[in-house]
Amino acid sequence: MTEQRYAEDVNVGDEMPAMVKNASRAQLFLFSAATNNPHRIHYDKDYAEVEGHPDVLVHGPLQGAWLSQFVTDWAGPLGRMTALSWQNRARAFPERDLSFKGKVTGKREDGGRVLVDLEVWEEDEAGNVLMPGQATVALPGRG
Amino acid sequence: MTTEGLVPEETRAMIGELLSEPLTGTITAKEAQRFALAADDLNPLYFDEEAAKAAGYRTTLIPPIFLAWSLAPARPVSEVREDGLYKSAGRRVTLNVKRVMFGGEDWEYFEPVYAGDTITSETRLKALDEKSGSSGPFVLQMTETTYTNQDGTVVAKAVGRSIAR
Repeated sequence: MTEQRYAEDVNVGDEMPAMVKNASRAQLFLFSAATNNPHRIHYDKDYAEVEGHPDVLVHGPLQGAWLSQFVTDWAGPLGRMTALSWQNRARAFPERDLSFKGKVTGKREDGGRVLVDLEVWEEDEAGNVLMPGQATVALPGRG
Repeated sequence: MTTEGLVPEETRAMIGELLSEPLTGTITAKEAQRFALAADDLNPLYFDEEAAKAAGYRTTLIPPIFLAWSLAPARPVSEVREDGLYKSAGRRVTLNVKRVMFGGEDWEYFEPVYAGDTITSETRLKALDEKSGSSGPFVLQMTETTYTNQDGTVVAKAVGRSIAR
């Protein structure tokens, strides 16, 4: 986890430092186990081909968990993620770099706290956006 | 709306209704941590009670995305289909389509979810919107799941979107 980020230090247009993930096949297996998900497209390459995929696929919820981690790491321990949404647009495969990127799109007062709106996304090595999303975090002030 | 549409009348009548019985479960720190470790998210708020308290929390948190997976009951191997997925346990949303693709999720988090909380989830059919796209007509199907803790507080809400065509 990163250090604390404070509302005063955040401005619309700021870019979030990228986070890179690269899932091994073993990690996909562990995620299937942790979510009790026996779908064969995540561990059985022969079967994945039956469903039209060239390889096993990274789980949508694992990519969602990474997007969540990207946001909560950026916000720091005193930040609170109040909203997160994403659109599953394209497949993600193991053993390839997946980059999570984002920028600040809004900053507003809401009942005594500061909410920061973020545009976030996951892209592959070629820069194709696999999963665009939006998030909102409440950040503490320095005061 | 004609009877030849993608949404049969009896399916449209399900909008607003529960798609399955409510699920209730107590989420342990161990299973929340197993999820976080599998996702390679080593946030101390999930693992270190002192770190959680220092951030103003009562105890360790569960990863926000784990909420969706924490309540599913364990099921026998005999209920696993050829593709590996479990047979559907809820009510079927029948549409006149060939395939359904998962589209995404919208989460709102209202209150922290702690390890040890007992959470109840209710999933309803929220909407079936018929639309037309570049590759023909499709249905945007939305389900809404509400998560409530042992104090009766709604802690989170999730809308799942699927594209059926």
